[in-house]
This record gives sequence, C-alpha cells and structure tokens, in this order.
Amino acid sequence: MKILLVDDSGTMRTIQKRCLLKLGVSEDGIVEAENGQVAFESFSSQSFDIVMTDWNMPVMDGLSLLKKVREVNKQIPVIMITTEAERSRVVTAIEAGVSDYLVKPFTADTLNAKLEKWVPAMV
Amino acid sequence: MDVSFINHFIESAANVFNTMLECPLKRTSLRLKTEAEPAHEVSALIGLSGTHVGSLVLSLSREVALKATERLLLVEFDDVTPDVVDAVGELSNMIAGGAKAAMAHLNLSLGLPNVIVGKAQKIYFPGDVSPITVSFTTPWGELAIEVGFDTRLEGNISQVDQRATVSC
Repeated sequence: MKILLVDDSGTMRTIQKRCLLKLGVSEDGIVEAENGQVAFESFSSQSFDIVMTDWNMPVMDGLSLLKKVREVNKQIPVIMITTEAERSRVVTAIEAGVSDYLVKPFTADTLNAKLEKWVPAMV
Repeated sequence: MDVSFINHFIESAANVFNTMLECPLKRTSLRLKTEAEPAHEVSALIGLSGTHVGSLVLSLSREVALKATERLLLVEFDDVTPDVVDAVGELSNMIAGGAKAAMAHLNLSLGLPNVIVGKAQKIYFPGDVSPITVSFTTPWGELAIEVGFDTRLEGNISQVDQRATVSC
C-alpha cells in the first residue's frame, strides 16, 4: 500500500499522515510532496495506490496535478482535500476526474471516515 | 467596503477554530482598523481576488499560536518555530476559504498565506480601504481577524496588486 500525500502545509500533511497510520498504512508507505510538481515527479517514478492532494499550492496546484495524473492513469483514486468549497470548484474537480472530495476544515472523525472509504481495502 | 463581508469571515473563523481545534471563539470587539501594526505577535496575511479584491489578516497572540499548533500536531511548543508559522498560515487559509465559499457569487480566488512574527512590522491595506478588526478571546488567549475589501474594483478581476502589503 503506497499513498502519495500532497499539501504545501506540513501541518496538514502531519494530520493526514497521522490518520493514515491509524488506519494501518506503514510509515514507508506514505510519500509526501509539498506541491503538484514534486508530487508528479514521484508519481512518474514510483507506483502508488492512492493520491491525496490539496488544491491551492505553489508551483503546481492540485487541479493541475489531478489532470496530469489522469492523463496517464484513469483508475487510481485521487482524493482532494481542500478549502475550495464552492459548488463550481467541486464540479471542476469532478470533471477533471477526482475520485473523492473533502473540504477543510474537518474533524478527525470526518477525515477518518473519508479515508476509511479508500484505504482499508488496500492495506 | 461592504461591511456584510465581515460576517462571513467571523463565521468562518469560529467554524475553523471549533472544527480543527475544538476551541470556542468569543467575540469581544469590532472596530475600524487605523493602526498599521498587527494586533498580535503571529499574523498570517492572505489575499483574495475576483470581482472584489481584499485581504484577511489572522493575528494570534503567541499563546494562541502555540496552543493551536499543539492541538493540530499533538506536540508541545514553547517557541514560534517554522511548524507554528505553517500552522497559523494554514488556519488563515481555511478561514479565508470558508468565507470565500460563502461569497461564491464574487468568484474569488485565494492567494497563498504569508506569516509575519512580531508586532514591529506594519501591514498596509490599500489607502481607500477601511479594514475592520474583529477581536476574539479564547481559553488560550487573544486573537483578531482584520479584513479589508476594495469594493470599487467590482467587475475588475486583474487588480490583484491592491492586496495588503507588509513592510518592516
């Protein structure tokens, strides 16, 4: 089980990583990236089971990352975890091929429930 | 500035602190901001642009910044480290994002947060903007949000350089 965890905030990556570890993902199974460009470099050189990404990031944002991932892989689950809550943004992400969507802020239970949908089957 | 904007930021701040930190906010005052200095020691500045252009400053007392980061990272902090700076920036991002969603008709885009530490630096909003400061108290200490929007720019989506700036 390998997860690509993308957010420019180290705080957010730590919170999400904590949840993943509780769900049984190993420390070695989580690869972190601080923007879409760094993430796509990892995505291109390694095999992943899930991508979790923020939207607003410097260098390359999460929507651009999603589109690049979908150019080469239509199946991998891509979960967007973002402050972008407007309906129009969600629709844009769906049209780009997002698999699931979580709006910040979230409680620990909400994050856990969202990731439980995707992670346990693959651990 | 359409002062009704401020309500969306107040509601979003309360939601972010309740949801992410389990920390209730109690509003203590609301006033026009006249001074350039931030209200407290750790301040995150984030711009919004679209049919209107504006900025949010989330200004936390040192105690609130440290406690909020501890709550998020589950690690104790006794100084304002890069982790604290990152956490405060992310809180400002979530507050601005929540307010932006409540004002979806303005088609706003969020900038990336910048964080300043200390009260010596000055934050300048555009000269024709009257920012509003809303102060809160929490079980951890004091914080404030400062919001300024230039409503004259309605219909002009290119003037993102009108956002607040910081100088030493």
